[in-house]
Amino acid sequence: MNQTIELSSACEFMTQHVVSVFDTMLSLRATLAAKNGLPFAAERVTGTAGFGGDNLNGVLYLHLSAATAARLASAMLRLPADEIPENEINDVVGEMTNMLIGGLKSWLTNCGAPCAMSTPAIIRGTCYAIETPSDAKSSVLAFESEAGIVAVEIHIRFE
Amino acid sequence: MATKILTVDDSRTIRLIVGRAFQPFDCEIFEAANGEEGLAAAAREKPDLIVLDVTMPVMDGVTMLVNLKENPELRNIPVIMLTAEAGHENVVEIGKLGARDYLIKPFKENQLVERASRIVELRKKTVECGTDHP
Repeated sequence: MNQTIELSSACEFMTQHVVSVFDTMLSLRATLAAKNGLPFAAERVTGTAGFGGDNLNGVLYLHLSAATAARLASAMLRLPADEIPENEINDVVGEMTNMLIGGLKSWLTNCGAPCAMSTPAIIRGTCYAIETPSDAKSSVLAFESEAGIVAVEIHIRFE
Repeated sequence: MATKILTVDDSRTIRLIVGRAFQPFDCEIFEAANGEEGLAAAAREKPDLIVLDVTMPVMDGVTMLVNLKENPELRNIPVIMLTAEAGHENVVEIGKLGARDYLIKPFKENQLVERASRIVELRKKTVECGTDHP
């Protein structure tokens, strides 16, 4: 099976799933940005979770600026952004990551590649980069929303 | 008497959303952050309904559900499972373990209320008039 086609199919699914998660949980409209790439920001928040099975394994990252993360938390918790402490913003980003990886896991399972997924973790900082393992395929999808730009990065390694 | 609902989820965000969903109704909401705390809260409060996340640290939702069903005092408490995994096998497994229903994340609050109202009676809160007027 062509690995590139599998990654592009996963990205097609993820594009629909991000739109659905934004609409359902945040009542926000997300649209795929014309130009892909990570959001540029002094301080970034990244939600991450892994998945793995017999045929493949990988990692999903949800990248946001700290300001966008606060606005997403505000939309989900229905509280003013400046009243939400950092740990609760992290919890919202973690939950969104969990929903995204859960959808991807289900999609992979339905495609004949059953896998398990990890619980999400949060990276927060001012200067970090995530490198793709040399034997993995990766793609970054950027989305525009009223809360700001978010990017979903998927790394998949086919066994 | 208010309907007692126990929400068990490691995410405070989801616990808050569950609590908010039942806010218009005469419900008393109890929270727990993992299956272990959830079992203790279930034994203590004897809720009318448990909204239980699948993936949690310490004790996950599936283990809590199994423990619940093995306990004669708690086995009849209906459980709605919340899961981010929509796969057919996952859903079948949840049903086999004895959950009454399931909801896949992401979900709308009214979906949760609709599922819950099939299992327990939800009464709208009555608006109380103030009594501090002369």
